[in-house]
Amino acid sequence: MNLAGALILAAAVLYVTFFPAAGLPALGPAFNPTTGAWTMAADAQVTNRMLHIAGLRQPVSVVLERDGTAHISAQTDHDLFLATGYVHARFRLFQMDLMRRQGAGRLSEVVGKAAVDSDRFELQLGLLRTAQAEWAQLQTDDQSRQALVAYAQGVNDRIAEAESMHQLDAMFTLLGYQPQSWSPIDSLLVKGDMTQTLNFTDTPLVMALLKKSLGADLSSEWFPILPPNQQSPYDIGPYAKPTIGPIETMSEVTDAEAQSAAALHQRLAALPAGLVAKGGASNNWAVGGAKSTSGGALLAGDPHLHLTLPAIWFQLTMDSPGYHAAGVGLPGTPIVLIGHNEHIAWTLTDAQNQQTFFYQEHEDAAHPGRYLWNGSWQNYKTVSYEIPVQGAKTQHLDVKLSVHGPVISERGQTTSVWWTGNLPSQDLGVLLRIGQAGNFAEFRNALRGWLAPTHNFIYADDRGNIGLISAGYYPLVAKGQPWLPMAGTGEFDVIGTIPFDDIPQAYNPPDNILWSANQRQVTSSYPYYIGTASNFFDAGYRANEIHRVLSQPGKLSADDMSALQTDTRDSLAAEIVPVLLQSLSKERLNAKESAAVDLLRSWDFRMETNSAAATIWWYFWGWYLDETFKPWWKSRAVPVDYGVVFNALGQDLEAWTLHDPGNRAFSAPGVGSRTAPDALRKSFHRLIGDAAKLLGPEPRSWSYGKVHQRVLENLAQISGLNYGPRPDRGDANTPLAAGGYPSTDGPSWRMVVDWGAQTFQAIYPGGQSENPASDWYTDRVDTWWAGKLNPMLTWDEASSAAGAWTWDLRP
Amino acid sequence: MDLGLAAVRLYIGIVLAAALALAGVLLGVWWSPFVVGLALGALDRRARVAVPVGAAIGLLAWAIPLAAVHIQYGLGPTAQSLAAIMGFDHRGAVPVVLTLLVGTLLGATGAWLVSAARFMAPGRSG
Repeated sequence: MNLAGALILAAAVLYVTFFPAAGLPALGPAFNPTTGAWTMAADAQVTNRMLHIAGLRQPVSVVLERDGTAHISAQTDHDLFLATGYVHARFRLFQMDLMRRQGAGRLSEVVGKAAVDSDRFELQLGLLRTAQAEWAQLQTDDQSRQALVAYAQGVNDRIAEAESMHQLDAMFTLLGYQPQSWSPIDSLLVKGDMTQTLNFTDTPLVMALLKKSLGADLSSEWFPILPPNQQSPYDIGPYAKPTIGPIETMSEVTDAEAQSAAALHQRLAALPAGLVAKGGASNNWAVGGAKSTSGGALLAGDPHLHLTLPAIWFQLTMDSPGYHAAGVGLPGTPIVLIGHNEHIAWTLTDAQNQQTFFYQEHEDAAHPGRYLWNGSWQNYKTVSYEIPVQGAKTQHLDVKLSVHGPVISERGQTTSVWWTGNLPSQDLGVLLRIGQAGNFAEFRNALRGWLAPTHNFIYADDRGNIGLISAGYYPLVAKGQPWLPMAGTGEFDVIGTIPFDDIPQAYNPPDNILWSANQRQVTSSYPYYIGTASNFFDAGYRANEIHRVLSQPGKLSADDMSALQTDTRDSLAAEIVPVLLQSLSKERLNAKESAAVDLLRSWDFRMETNSAAATIWWYFWGWYLDETFKPWWKSRAVPVDYGVVFNALGQDLEAWTLHDPGNRAFSAPGVGSRTAPDALRKSFHRLIGDAAKLLGPEPRSWSYGKVHQRVLENLAQISGLNYGPRPDRGDANTPLAAGGYPSTDGPSWRMVVDWGAQTFQAIYPGGQSENPASDWYTDRVDTWWAGKLNPMLTWDEASSAAGAWTWDLRP
Repeated sequence: MDLGLAAVRLYIGIVLAAALALAGVLLGVWWSPFVVGLALGALDRRARVAVPVGAAIGLLAWAIPLAAVHIQYGLGPTAQSLAAIMGFDHRGAVPVVLTLLVGTLLGATGAWLVSAARFMAPGRSG
């Protein structure tokens, strides 16, 4: 009995210490104090160090500011990129590993079955194939190839060091695996992840389902090509003459097409967040020297992304004989993506043009395994993958490729996808050349090679010039309706891109201002199709507000730029609330409703946490949309989640409320004949009743901070390592972007440059380290939350600043 | 105090075993308390002696390096982070207790296993 008990206990103890069990990691390697997760305590400490790094050709100096901002100074370009790889891996190796695994479809190898769907989809979509093709394209003397190779060596130097010193990030220990060597293709995968997050969309599938259920007339009216509302394009022409014929119509969506679209849409909707772009939100603008108080050009930018801990960005200054840039880059890539050099500054927003096209391949029983294209039957190419799954059997995946791209659904109809992200795009080379550019001509020339994702690159230089180019690949189809899935028989194929000279762009405009906030960049007279209003340009409210502020008389300062980045004025509210109040002017109101009206009447349309009017407005807008469109959704049995097209319907509702109050949309089946004021009043009454139940009887106490919060989510989805939720201002329409409840996306990096005053300021939410035990995990959050910026120091300023550390890297 | 030769041997053995277990853990051989526990069980088959001593050695072998980490770097943020990762909010005591428990169990089970086996072995006495 005694021996049996001892045997059982010993076996149990040995099992749980050597093997993962019950959701816990193997306790021995995970928790032992010498090599286990406790080593994150040592990893969190940074000291002055002298290190020997394999592969360096000359000594490299690294200065780490008090907040971890890295300044890397090297005597050769090779050493600069190698040291950058080392520094990135020192602070972000687990993040880098997750990102490359996501792109390569290897997440389930370390996290198990939960990631299999993601892996299968990624391997189908083809980030790995594209990264391999990009790598194969690079000549041996190509600068970006050399940068990628040196960077990979730096990462691998750190992996070797961390393994020998038992300082791998604790997540490796807890998940029970060691990182594999870093390769240049891994860096290209990280870039591919971003491309996918920003511009792989499923909107043609959604449009097909809407067209089928709502009918051609309503879907055409509600989801038009050109935006129904007033927006603020930055490139107002004149434009080049059209080089292609007008878009022709094609047949209605058939039942089979709709079923196929529904199946694929559901599959994509079930994927983890970030794999399918859900609409972008970023701001940037520039002010010419003639309109700035300092006399120099101003530039401001805040790309809005999923806010994670660790942050998506790593801040650094890179300095070598051939490359000097300061700003932020993606850990895993060897360059500065947004920042400035000695002469120019740049930042970007997503350009939003349609870059994903779905093709239904024509197959028949007489030609099994083949598809009809341009009049002849083609064989699919097939690529096979093995997907290792932690704790389960390895899965096999065959991916079929047509001329359009990978087949991603064979349910109902065989559907393949053409996506610009699958075009090999030498973005790193472009970014290297941007970092080396000294004027607008060089900047613009560099961007000729940029394909995907399309971005609005804004520019300001030390001679007062400003420019904006929406660079990238703008697919043109020969004919058809590219906002719907198209037949794959050849007539509707992508035949090229809009010529570079014709893409949206502007340089030194007469009013000395340029801006982009994911709005349609051009007016209705632009001669090319670039996407519909709902696929997926922003509704334009942020752009309208930015344009309103910038175009006011007088000169602007860097402080004005910073203030505009945290502007919480909802320009949609500024349009709609007066109409709402007018519609209520003769309405009998109860005490709560009267109090709410008083609040709205005195409101400045700012979505501040202490504003009760902001709460009323935001609830009201949701109710108003529901009141108008929900009956249609119900009566037509629309199979698309209402929230998916919330943004597009909002543009319609805005336009009708202001200019077409008798639109038939207000008279949905079952609600009778109505106008906009009728729907406004009904929505208001319902909102006040519901809000009172939720927030209490006194409208003045309904402060926005009670209902609107923001959270920074841990990248590994460990909720205990999140920051927040915490009440925050802004909404989806304000320059300080904070859509969602709670809001999980927003300004991932704010930068303000004043070339006249030679000031460079920036901040991002989070910190330089992925180690949650480090002071640098969340140390920047409060500054960011308060809307403040930190100075971007030069090398000299950083090295003499209090609290700085120096690493002396030697060959 | 007259300890007697056997007792002296036992105490020396215990001290050596503890040093071995600690050295093993410091060198990354985190399971060394289990092996040392096995040896202890062989040294003294009385479970009432071997098991608590094995447990104490296991505890010390894991606690001393942990204390060293605390003295050198501070354990607070790390313990809180590990607790958060494990789903215990930021209750840093949880991973500390779990860590010490693992060390203790490794030493105790090793000692118990061998002392129980020896107890069952033929020709046992006393």
